[in-house]
Amino acid sequence: MAIAALKEAKVPVIVIAIICFLVGLGIGWAIKPVPAPVKPTLIVIGPWAGPEMEKYMPVLEAAEEALGIEIEYRIYRAEDLGAILPSQFEAGMTPGDVIHWCWPVSIREMAEKGHLMDLTDIVDAAKYPEAVIKAVTVGGKIYAAPYTYKVKPGFWYRKSKFTEWGITGEPKNWKEFVDLLNTLRTKLGRDDVIASGDAVGWPLSDIAEHFILYKAGKDAFEKLKTGEQKFTASPVKDVFGPETTEGTLSWLIAQGYFSAPEDWTTIMEKWWKGEYGLYFMGSWILGMVDDPEDLGLIPLTALEDSASKAIVGCFPDYIIVPKYTKYPELAKKLAAFLSGVEGQTIQVKQGGHVASHKDVPLDAYPAADKALAEEIAGMDVVFDLDDTVGGVFQTTFWDQLKYLWAHPEEWETCLSNMQSALEEQLRA
Amino acid sequence: MRTKTPILFLIPALSLICLIVIYPIMDTIYLSFLTPEGEFAGLRNYAEVLNSKEMLDLSRFPKTYPPWGILIHNAIWIALHLPLSLFLGLVLAVALREVKGSSIVKSMIFIGMVTPMVVGGWMVRFMFDKDIGIVNLLMRTLGLRWLADKTWTVWPELSLLATILGSVWMWTGFSMVIYSAALATIPKEYYEAAEIDGASALQKFFYITLPLLRPATLTIVVMTVLYELKIFDIIFVATRGGPGGSSNVLALEMYFRAFRYFRMNEAAVIAVLLTLLTLIPAIYIVRTAVRR
Repeated sequence: MAIAALKEAKVPVIVIAIICFLVGLGIGWAIKPVPAPVKPTLIVIGPWAGPEMEKYMPVLEAAEEALGIEIEYRIYRAEDLGAILPSQFEAGMTPGDVIHWCWPVSIREMAEKGHLMDLTDIVDAAKYPEAVIKAVTVGGKIYAAPYTYKVKPGFWYRKSKFTEWGITGEPKNWKEFVDLLNTLRTKLGRDDVIASGDAVGWPLSDIAEHFILYKAGKDAFEKLKTGEQKFTASPVKDVFGPETTEGTLSWLIAQGYFSAPEDWTTIMEKWWKGEYGLYFMGSWILGMVDDPEDLGLIPLTALEDSASKAIVGCFPDYIIVPKYTKYPELAKKLAAFLSGVEGQTIQVKQGGHVASHKDVPLDAYPAADKALAEEIAGMDVVFDLDDTVGGVFQTTFWDQLKYLWAHPEEWETCLSNMQSALEEQLRA
Repeated sequence: MRTKTPILFLIPALSLICLIVIYPIMDTIYLSFLTPEGEFAGLRNYAEVLNSKEMLDLSRFPKTYPPWGILIHNAIWIALHLPLSLFLGLVLAVALREVKGSSIVKSMIFIGMVTPMVVGGWMVRFMFDKDIGIVNLLMRTLGLRWLADKTWTVWPELSLLATILGSVWMWTGFSMVIYSAALATIPKEYYEAAEIDGASALQKFFYITLPLLRPATLTIVVMTVLYELKIFDIIFVATRGGPGGSSNVLALEMYFRAFRYFRMNEAAVIAVLLTLLTLIPAIYIVRTAVRR
């Protein structure tokens, strides 16, 4: 009897239960707490890791505050981007919303393929060096915002170590430079007194480019970029060899003044400890050593017998905004902030960077950076040869220089290979 | 109906294989016959790639040290790496066969096999470093100063050898494990019978162990050759194929042409050549498996 009653009551009970459930859902939806608006998170890609990254973080923190966004920083080196970006872009994807990339050749290539946003409206071209803007302009449109850049001014030494070793004064000409190397040999008890940094190849290319400016001059250096000057012809040929002639790069290597290439950060530590006397590196070293004010600089192009008063500068760490970003407007705002006075001022304050924006005040630079600025005052800054030409030339240039370091007597073969790669790349 | 059923079951797997294996292969082959502008190039790309100094440099081989061209480098990889890893794997497997606690030693040797190749590349840089390299230390102990005082990865004479030896260290674990498993399947009665007949330890090894290890050896040879032909990461990290291309190999050159020089057609040519070369051992192993 009771069971029959239950069965009869079953349908209305289910109906009532469903109604209660739906009403409950409705009430729950109506009174649910409203979550705080989530800040958009933009992914910024840059090449800096370790101490360099730490000095970049204040810039991103300021950008987060100014733009009301969250930023996630990811590290990709320029060569990694060279491998990743083309395929990602072809697939309509991007690993980051704002990307630092110092390869203008590849930036132009990506812009021509329509993968990058036009940044002409956020970049005031008049505020940056003309060559910097021209390098990333395609069809009259600017596709990358310049960030800070670095220079590769010469051989660094530690003032305190030189004092300890009783070395005073800096060399004024080539003879005095070689005398200094020989003094260092005596003091350090080793032949290879110049530390050779190794990465994918660039530290050696920086040395070679510096030597070209020193011995062949700025004109020959610039003509290499267009193919008007050959590696295998004078005066550039005479920079490299023969290894039996004093003053050539292969002579210095053959005489054993340079160490074998070793990871550039590892050998930098050894040099800092006093195992080596000199180290050729870019200005970012100012932000990497414990006491940048202990650094002294010997630019060969500042010697009396230099063929030019010029130093090599890296292209800025350009900022690109891929078309495939989820936040095109915010990404452009972020690019504008980073490339503008505010972003670059914060960066140069950390040391090791040179502002590309003309309005960044000089007093923003730390003391050691100011000293560098004084040292290279009056010198022309010319842009990197391998970054300007790029492609197969860059890889070959790096690799052949590593070979030259091992076998300076084969300098002619190395130059011939570099020249072939240069012609191949310029044809392409 | 009965004959169609297996085909129906195969369709999902076949579709996937067509999409992610067959189509890319066909597309790569097609790309290898095109110019960068997309026009038909015939065999021009193949001729250019195969005639390039990077592929084969007979002006240097064998008169002087590398670079000799990546085809020769790959051949040297097979000529050195294969017998070394095979021999070491066999020796270790046999030597550790009856040893108490050998599983711990085997696990330690096998670590090289499970270590990511990128880490392996870094290990090679350290192992052959003039200041901290363990190999250099060994050379110093043996009195071979000309080998001890050089960082092998930055010298064209030694960079190819450094990557090969580094890889032997990593790959020996593979052959050792396969041989150990194969040794465990040999019935003990064979050895007991041989002992009764008065066979020496060497005779037992050459007349029982070695012949019965033949299937395992074939598997190791084929897998190792495939590995050697496709070798990339360890070289990319340790030397980037340098200095001066002295340790460059097929897979690395393919990467450079595709992603550094953006010459997809030339990269496709190398990819096709690589596929053809790897097909030889692959077909062999498939045919052997089918026969069994």
